[in-house]
Amino acid sequence: MATIKKLLTLSALLLAALSAQADTFVFTAIPDEDESRLQQRFNKVADYMAQQLGVEVQYIPVKSYAAAITAFRNNQVQLAWFGGLSGVQARRLVPGSEAIAQGYEDQFFKTYFIAHHSTGLQPLTTLTDELRGKTFTFGSKGSTSGRLMPEFYLREQFQAAPQDIFARVGFSGDHSRTIAQVQAGAYQVGAVNYTVWENELAAGNVDPQKVSVIWETPTYPDYQWTIRGDVDARFGAGFKDKVRDMLLNMNDKDLLASFPRQSFVPAGNSDYQPIENTAREIGLID
Amino acid sequence: MSTVQSTEPLFQLQQQSLKKGRTEVLSHISLTLYRGEKVALIGPSGAGKSSLLEWLYAQHSGQIALCPQSSGLVDILSAYQNIYMGGLERHSTLYNLSNLIYPRQADRQAITTLAAELGIADQLWKSVDQLSGGQRQRVAIGRALFRRQPVFFGDEPVSALDPQQAENILQLLIRRHETLLVSLHNRRLALDHFDRVIALRQGVISYDGPAAALTGAALDALYAQ
Amino acid sequence: MRSNPLSTGRRLLWLSLGLLLSALLCLPFADLAVYPSEPWQELGRIALGLVTPWWDDPRILASALGQTVAFALLAVVISVPAGLLLAMFWHWRPLRMLAASLRAVHEIFWGLLFMQLWGLSATTGLLAILIPYTGVFAKVFAEIFARQSPAPAQTLAGTTGRLSRYAYTLIPQALAEISHYVRYRFECALRSSAILGFIGLPTLGFHLETAFKQGDYSNAAALLWLFFLLIASIRFWLRPRLIPLYVLLALLLLPDTPPVPQGLMWQFISQDIWPRALTDGDIVAAAAWYAGVFSREAWPALIETLLLTQLALVLTGMIALLVYPLASRALVGRGRIAGRVLLLVMRSTPEMIFAFILLLLFGPSGLPAVLALALHNGGLIAFLLAGHSEQQAQRVDDPGGVNRYLYLHTPRLYPGFLAFLFYRWEVILRESAIMGILGIATLGFYIDSAFEEIRYDKAFFLILVTAALNIMVDSVSRRLRRYSGAENSGGLG
Repeated sequence: MATIKKLLTLSALLLAALSAQADTFVFTAIPDEDESRLQQRFNKVADYMAQQLGVEVQYIPVKSYAAAITAFRNNQVQLAWFGGLSGVQARRLVPGSEAIAQGYEDQFFKTYFIAHHSTGLQPLTTLTDELRGKTFTFGSKGSTSGRLMPEFYLREQFQAAPQDIFARVGFSGDHSRTIAQVQAGAYQVGAVNYTVWENELAAGNVDPQKVSVIWETPTYPDYQWTIRGDVDARFGAGFKDKVRDMLLNMNDKDLLASFPRQSFVPAGNSDYQPIENTAREIGLID
Repeated sequence: MSTVQSTEPLFQLQQQSLKKGRTEVLSHISLTLYRGEKVALIGPSGAGKSSLLEWLYAQHSGQIALCPQSSGLVDILSAYQNIYMGGLERHSTLYNLSNLIYPRQADRQAITTLAAELGIADQLWKSVDQLSGGQRQRVAIGRALFRRQPVFFGDEPVSALDPQQAENILQLLIRRHETLLVSLHNRRLALDHFDRVIALRQGVISYDGPAAALTGAALDALYAQ
Repeated sequence: MRSNPLSTGRRLLWLSLGLLLSALLCLPFADLAVYPSEPWQELGRIALGLVTPWWDDPRILASALGQTVAFALLAVVISVPAGLLLAMFWHWRPLRMLAASLRAVHEIFWGLLFMQLWGLSATTGLLAILIPYTGVFAKVFAEIFARQSPAPAQTLAGTTGRLSRYAYTLIPQALAEISHYVRYRFECALRSSAILGFIGLPTLGFHLETAFKQGDYSNAAALLWLFFLLIASIRFWLRPRLIPLYVLLALLLLPDTPPVPQGLMWQFISQDIWPRALTDGDIVAAAAWYAGVFSREAWPALIETLLLTQLALVLTGMIALLVYPLASRALVGRGRIAGRVLLLVMRSTPEMIFAFILLLLFGPSGLPAVLALALHNGGLIAFLLAGHSEQQAQRVDDPGGVNRYLYLHTPRLYPGFLAFLFYRWEVILRESAIMGILGIATLGFYIDSAFEEIRYDKAFFLILVTAALNIMVDSVSRRLRRYSGAENSGGLG
């Protein structure tokens, strides 16, 4: 059994760990799809960043949107690839932080509603009462495309909470799983990020006989890079601009495929005001 | 105790020895038991009585009702169920399962009668962990009786009973079985109820003969350490 | 005549019938709908994956395995002495309450809480396991001590200090039982450690969750098989003499803990976990806030959680009783190998994995949750029962087969079985809280939502409610255990 000595060694080691890690620039990304090989893929991005920025860069993987926000808030990461909603939440917690770039596709992002063939649902122009009483799954609770925007449009159309529209409302955890569960019929209808849907369709992971798109939301702004306000003080004046330029100039197809985006374009906090308003409207933020 | 003795040997050992691990617990045993014999097994503790009983039991287990020292009672089951266990082999599993939930009238009647003979009718529906030592011993005997076998093997089956009860129950056992082999500590019971006595001493048979030929003094010698 | 109220067997029977009845009463209120689905394609892929385990980078696998063991080992090594210390002062009520609240919160929720401060670090993982385990050890050790004979201690001078008294009497008296329990708990700690990967710690669960999420069932299978092997081989590598070496290795393996930003800890404790109204000093508004959360979320969730728990508990008991003979040499002879593998799989597979597969089969409802909880916990209790069953004394004329199971082993094991079941009650309650992914609004669903919405005030309050519920269930189960006379049947939880 443990002796006091071992406890002391342990605390000494923990203390040693505390003082390590001085000035590495650390970033993370929300785990919204295909998490496998995330580490490998983003390590390549980290290498590119290090080469462009001239500082050590490290990527840390997280398991949830909330963990990404917490790490950003606690300054354990200085830069993060957030969704629309998680970016808004993070910037509210860290005054001075800023959205600096978004994906080209994120300027007009959308959500697909998908349905299992057994429902007999055909593509709709508006959400109709046919959906009532079905089982329905969102993606992650903190996802913009998998939760916030679909919930917003559901509430707008039906004037009711999702729980009152559907027989059951679940949260599959991420977009790939939403597709898998609707395809297996475990849930009848689901809301999914359109880029993930297109990717999985192209990769042959979707059986169009079993699951198909029945509705798409109007467009909204989504994913963006957000950086902490204190990076200039820590990594030298002009560091934030360097990061922005580095992102906007990223044109290696292989690196961009990690996100997956065709390119990054400039963005600012105000681009996400609509998202913040929506989140407030449905009570996700105060 | 009035059954006819036959000449058919039920058990037979010839100069055989039994080892438990590396130690020899029984040496050079020659022994023949005939159908209808009532045999008392005596000797100081550690002489090998229990081992002999187990050994012989293994030869013929099909016909023998056994009542070992470790009574094998199941604590949380009632005395009724503990006795009923003696008859498990007579019924299908389904029947036995249903008996656990709701005993049938016929079984209840048979076992209640048996319990009355054993003097434990009042305790029949109590869990056996709530019974006294003597009552538990009678439940164990009840199980052996309910096996309804022609041969009874008992290892100190009445040790926890008072003399009068011991007497009665031994008589009951003798009435219900054709052949008996019972180890006993009480020498008077051995002489009064059995027609043959086998004495063991340090794993060896030191006496094997009719009970009538034994006097009190000779018996004392056989028990001595 | 047949219902003597004093009879032990009767008492156990009534208690069991009471439990069964409680579950039957819950049945109509619980949400157990079955939704038709077409799971076979996906289930086929899972089955194929299970028989074709594959992992391409053994370094990642080795590191995850190492971290899993490291977290579990260090957490147990620290929580055992801590639990012993608490157990020595068990007569002190506030301490018992403290221990009960420590173990009332699921490892995952402790992890989520500590993650706010220490991120995904060694400190978060260690604390998440060792805090609830300290609470469990304290309780179980105290119960073990209570079963020891007081005679040795009575022969000491009345002024002997508590520590020396325990060190010379109760601890050595109970050592065999304690070390047996710690061994068993270590297996649980490995599971806890693996599961913490679900929230991001670098253990096996991290990759397992990813693999399942992505449908990489061969990868998932590689991780699962590896984990089964790890559990099955504990007795070969967990040697007391090697533990110091393992501890050193574990210390080297653990990930770094980044510095906690200045003031964050204080801010977290003094601000984040309390509603704004309270920190502003507006007591009335704060009370209204708490009342609102309670009536809107906590109360309905509490009911839902209790319903699921009750059903899962009874089903757990049935599964355990039906399955344990398969792994007992005394009942199935050599065939027990298959039974042992079955029980290993049942108790070592994280409930979430069962829930995921059952969700595909039955659709989203309480049913997959109840089944997943019952399979896991039933497997665990069956494992303990099988062990005890093999230690039963036998007599030469014992009946065989099903009769032996019905008339000898099951009744003999029954008091112990009930004791295990009552211990698991609080565990099932804790675990049902993390079944929120199935779209069932248990307490865990709302706690998880609160963390996702970065509402620590709400998360903290809901965790307190969960803890209070757990303390209540614990106290009821203690009473029932005492009533059933199952108390002295060995303290395994």
